[in-house]
Amino acid sequence: MENVVETHQLTKAYGEFVAVNELDMEIKRGEIFGFLGPNGAGKTTTILMLMGLSVPTKGTAIVAGHDIVEESREVRTVASILPEYSSLYGDLTAWENLDYIGKLNDQPKEEREDRVAEMLEIVGMSMWADTKLESFSRGMKQRVGIASALMKNPQIVFLDEPTIGLDPVATKEVRELVLKLNREKELTVVLASHLLHEVQVTCNKIGILNRGKLILLESMENLNRVMSGGEDRRIELRLTETTPDLIKDLKAVNGVKSVTQENNALYVYGSVDSDLEVSKTIVSHGAYILMMKPREYTLEEIFMKYYNQEVAG
Amino acid sequence: MAGTMTVASKELRDQFGSKRFLILLGLIVVLGSLSAYQGVDYIRNNVGSSFVYIFSGARMSFSFIQIMVFFGPILGLALGFDSVNKERTNGTLSMVLGQPIYRDSVINGKFIAGAVALITLAFSTIAIMCGITIPMLGFAPTLEEALKIGALTMLTTVYLLLWLSLGILYSVVFKRTSTSILFSIATWMTFSIVLSILAAALSMALVPPDGDFIDEGGPGEQGWERFTISPEYMEAMQERQALQSAIQNLSPTHLYQITASSILGVSSFGFGSQEFARTATLPEALANNWANIAVLAVVMVVAFAASYMAFLRIEIRPGD
Repeated sequence: MENVVETHQLTKAYGEFVAVNELDMEIKRGEIFGFLGPNGAGKTTTILMLMGLSVPTKGTAIVAGHDIVEESREVRTVASILPEYSSLYGDLTAWENLDYIGKLNDQPKEEREDRVAEMLEIVGMSMWADTKLESFSRGMKQRVGIASALMKNPQIVFLDEPTIGLDPVATKEVRELVLKLNREKELTVVLASHLLHEVQVTCNKIGILNRGKLILLESMENLNRVMSGGEDRRIELRLTETTPDLIKDLKAVNGVKSVTQENNALYVYGSVDSDLEVSKTIVSHGAYILMMKPREYTLEEIFMKYYNQEVAG
Repeated sequence: MAGTMTVASKELRDQFGSKRFLILLGLIVVLGSLSAYQGVDYIRNNVGSSFVYIFSGARMSFSFIQIMVFFGPILGLALGFDSVNKERTNGTLSMVLGQPIYRDSVINGKFIAGAVALITLAFSTIAIMCGITIPMLGFAPTLEEALKIGALTMLTTVYLLLWLSLGILYSVVFKRTSTSILFSIATWMTFSIVLSILAAALSMALVPPDGDFIDEGGPGEQGWERFTISPEYMEAMQERQALQSAIQNLSPTHLYQITASSILGVSSFGFGSQEFARTATLPEALANNWANIAVLAVVMVVAFAASYMAFLRIEIRPGD
């Protein structure tokens, strides 16, 4: 699949402070890319550079075939940004805000009006087209913000913390909207966030950024494998009883690497082939299996593992 | 150009709809009308007076020129001081610059909108003043007077745009609107009030009176002591006046005041004190004051060029 974003040694320094440090990454067309990292990791700075709004100190990047420095205006015809905080005019109505963006994109009047109506419809804000933004809730503003980012019919859209400050209902709505747009419009989405759950349920690829450095770039489906070191996995077990002897015997099963007990659950780390022997060992100790399921790593666990590794140096 | 006009039309709509602009416009129109009314009173009592005296408002505490000297900086600065940094604070600047427009479209559009608003204000105020006074006087300005009014309008426009450019410069240079408004107020006070006080104090300190009054002895015809001014004293006073004037020439408000007064054929020395001089023709006035006009225009262009360059170099950072 074609790359929409390619960066090579992309670096941004503000004096002595290096906000983004030699970033190399690729984002393919149609992906929802989760850009993870704590506050100040360099996510927003990277997005600003990719939008052609901030000039890199070193390195290059191509967005939808355009160099971000030499062809920044062209980049801005195919890429959109929804900044972290409300970026629309509160004293204008939803319609007027979108219409203004359409004008800045040099869209003819008829096309612009159709597009504004369509975008408001997509984000479910048609009813409030003539209401000033200052009277909207934050969730409603974000919806109009997303519509504004789509006005130019972009190939890629950068959403910077789009659900920050939203209540759970609005968060879910925004998330579903992003998924819908990706599905129906084949829109490439870069979602910068420090909310791990949001990224986990929305994105199909993630990059973890810490102190300006990319410490992980992986597809979500590969993450568990990467985390468990190849073919290994872990099983969560709920048993009628757990004894020290049982744990000792489970550890002796061929293919099992380790066994841990947390609250009422038993976690067995090992290869897929060991499942049958594990079951037999449990039964042989007179215990019954109430639940047995493979347990995937949460993004939080993945993030913390890489984050801690990076911090530890 | 499309981006410039789009930004300009949006900004213009904001300007004309803002309470700030409407209040200032209302204030200027009301004060201008009152000064014109008093000018009419003077013209009626002094047969043969020029129509343009409606702008110089004799026998009253303010005239159009003085209104502009005092309120002109406020008008220009008020329309410009938060034009860019407000957008940075609200986060709308990154959205606008995220569109496929050239960056200078934004600063050009903002300046055009401010300029149109100020030109509208200057033209409408002067038009209203003329519109009120012509029926009251029963005669219209002659061609020469009309040209003088035209020249005054142009000069006032340049003067107001100078302050607009300074306001925009502050809004680009300072990230916070609170800082730019403080600098705007400081600039206005410096040029409108402080500099003239400073000029007087400095000239008095640097050129002390030399010589004195000469007592000619004995009472005069009306019983008063007779004194004459010594040539040394006279020379010192003239030197002091020249120094004071040179210092005051650093202020655009002073340059506007003396140039506008010259164009109208009056000399104006601040609130409440006016002296009418021989009415100079328009070419004479322009010839005598071309340097002042050039300085006002150059300061305006330099201030805008500085804000233009600074804006193009603005680094959009997280939070802008």
